[in-house]
Amino acid sequence: MKINNTPKLTLFHCLNSFEETASMFDGCEMKTVKMACSSMTKDVHLLRAFEAGSDAVLVLVCSDKGCRYAEGSIRARKRVDYVKTILDDIGMDGRRLKIFNTSAKDYGSIKNIIQNTILELEIIGPNPALNHFN
Amino acid sequence: MKTFSHLHENLLQGKFVVTGECGPPRGANKAVIDKKISLLKGYVDAVNVTDNQTAIVRMSSIAASAHLVAAGLEPVMQMVVRDRNRIAIQSDIMGAYSLGIRNILCLSGDHQKFGSQPDAMNVFDIDSVNLVRTVRDMREKGKDMSGFVLDVAPQMFIGAAANPFADPFEYRVIRLAKKIDAGVDFIQTQCIYNIDRFKEWIKRANDEGLTERVYILGGVTPLRSAGMARYMNNKVAGMDVPSDIIKRMDGIGKKNQADEGIKICLETIEVLKELTGVHGVHIMAIEWEEAVAKIVEQAGLK
Amino acid sequence: MITASQKPINEIIELVEPYKKVLILGCGTCVKTCFSGGEDEVAVLASALRLSFKKMVRSIEIEELTIERQCENEFIQEASSGIARNDAVLSLACGAGVQALAKQFLKEVVLPGLNTTFIGIQESPGIFTEECSGCGNCSLAIFGGICPVTRCAKKLLNGPCGGSQKGFCEIDPDTHCAWHLIIERLTTLGQMDNLKTYIPPKNWNTSLSGGPRKLIREDHII
Repeated sequence: MKINNTPKLTLFHCLNSFEETASMFDGCEMKTVKMACSSMTKDVHLLRAFEAGSDAVLVLVCSDKGCRYAEGSIRARKRVDYVKTILDDIGMDGRRLKIFNTSAKDYGSIKNIIQNTILELEIIGPNPALNHFN
Repeated sequence: MKTFSHLHENLLQGKFVVTGECGPPRGANKAVIDKKISLLKGYVDAVNVTDNQTAIVRMSSIAASAHLVAAGLEPVMQMVVRDRNRIAIQSDIMGAYSLGIRNILCLSGDHQKFGSQPDAMNVFDIDSVNLVRTVRDMREKGKDMSGFVLDVAPQMFIGAAANPFADPFEYRVIRLAKKIDAGVDFIQTQCIYNIDRFKEWIKRANDEGLTERVYILGGVTPLRSAGMARYMNNKVAGMDVPSDIIKRMDGIGKKNQADEGIKICLETIEVLKELTGVHGVHIMAIEWEEAVAKIVEQAGLK
Repeated sequence: MITASQKPINEIIELVEPYKKVLILGCGTCVKTCFSGGEDEVAVLASALRLSFKKMVRSIEIEELTIERQCENEFIQEASSGIARNDAVLSLACGAGVQALAKQFLKEVVLPGLNTTFIGIQESPGIFTEECSGCGNCSLAIFGGICPVTRCAKKLLNGPCGGSQKGFCEIDPDTHCAWHLIIERLTTLGQMDNLKTYIPPKNWNTSLSGGPRKLIREDHII
């Protein structure tokens, strides 16, 4: 199913892995959630982002070895994997949740990640739990 | 002294005995049993009849043993505690005795996880040591486990298994002693390929005076192929096939591997015959009963 | 603690499908500790169910509540108004909690959201192991504090079977052989003589074989 409206994305990120720049969010409606550390990534928040209407959710964390708080990135990845299985189980398609290791200065690659996600949504389709009653 | 079975009698006379093995069929086909009987009769002193071995559902060991009795071949009825509680166990022992079965081998049983029906609930109400004691108490005291005096109490020759190749090694002799204390008359061991470890185990048993209190039959299984050697080493619980045996099988052309397996088996039997404390050999030719006659003849045990 | 794991979400969806309003009721004691039925798990399950029903274009109202313990009537009372407001309760408690609710609310539908697994401990972060079968007749004193009834796959009381190899159980190369552990520990304690002693058949009458068990403390009955 093609997305007719501008895709909605939510981006969770730790302080050190993302910094907003101009034109970074071209082509999508973006909501960002800043976390002191990626270890604060919680399963319920990821799910609620989808409940709030996101078509895709991105989690940007530092490299596994570059985490200032030792294991934050690893924990974040495990939780993302867990939520992906829930999304798959309920037919929401776990591919609409993604995690990347980035650093705040990687403007180019972060922009690529976002643009690729928007492109991929053309295949995956919009959030299937949207626009229905409830 | 009272003898409980022909196997017992032969051991009492100091004969180096031979027991074989007969796995009942996966079905009710008596002809399978008859064929195995014809291959084994005249070559062995008694034949173990397995009890749903590897937890694969088969004709019951009691029924198959009864077929052997009827054919004039003495069975050693195997009984596992995996599938029966103490009520069924005692009842089956009485039934077996009434059918002319005179030897019993008391086992824990392979876990059902590896069997054909892993969803089954296991029982393990009593363990194999307590099974030995139960049969012994029936025989010596004439009572069932509740202390009820039996009209005719089963008088069976009691066996158990020992695995010298399982860990922890130090405990293996203690466990043997425990089984002897519980009343076991004879022991059949796990298949011997690691002869050094077996020698160490039997030495410790001799040192503890255990081999004077129990008959020990060393277990052997002729290897049919190098693949089987590898499979047994890797997949069968509690089995120890040393790498030089596997190498030796690997070094032989596929066509001649079975002959080599028999050769290894004969060499093992030669060693066992000379060992103090070993009173016989238990040949487990798994679905290869034809090999038994050959082994017995070539080993000069007929 | 009593451990449990959440039922597959699709099984839960089938369970709650007939109802319009469902209370997901968490339990803040054992199952919270093993990450299956505490407040956090209630929130995740509620969110997943809402998403799933929206996707199916089905309507469901979900209320979330977690109480301290579902196996005690005092705490259960805190859930009574929530239960009254809904068509069904999806309990994220062990089987005891589910049944305690069913006993208290005779006319309400109570559904289990968890599969209760065992009495165990958290051996290391995220790994829970079974330690006790509640057999009603503890022999840990002679076995060096390691229970063969629970931790030996064959419940052997007189030593290891022939499948114990290199310290592991024949049924699973990742499971320690309980008997290996017992022998190691008794060796350390200098109590190996315990194992030379014959252990008679266990009296299972105190375990589940005797039917549902009851604990009576006369001094607490008014």
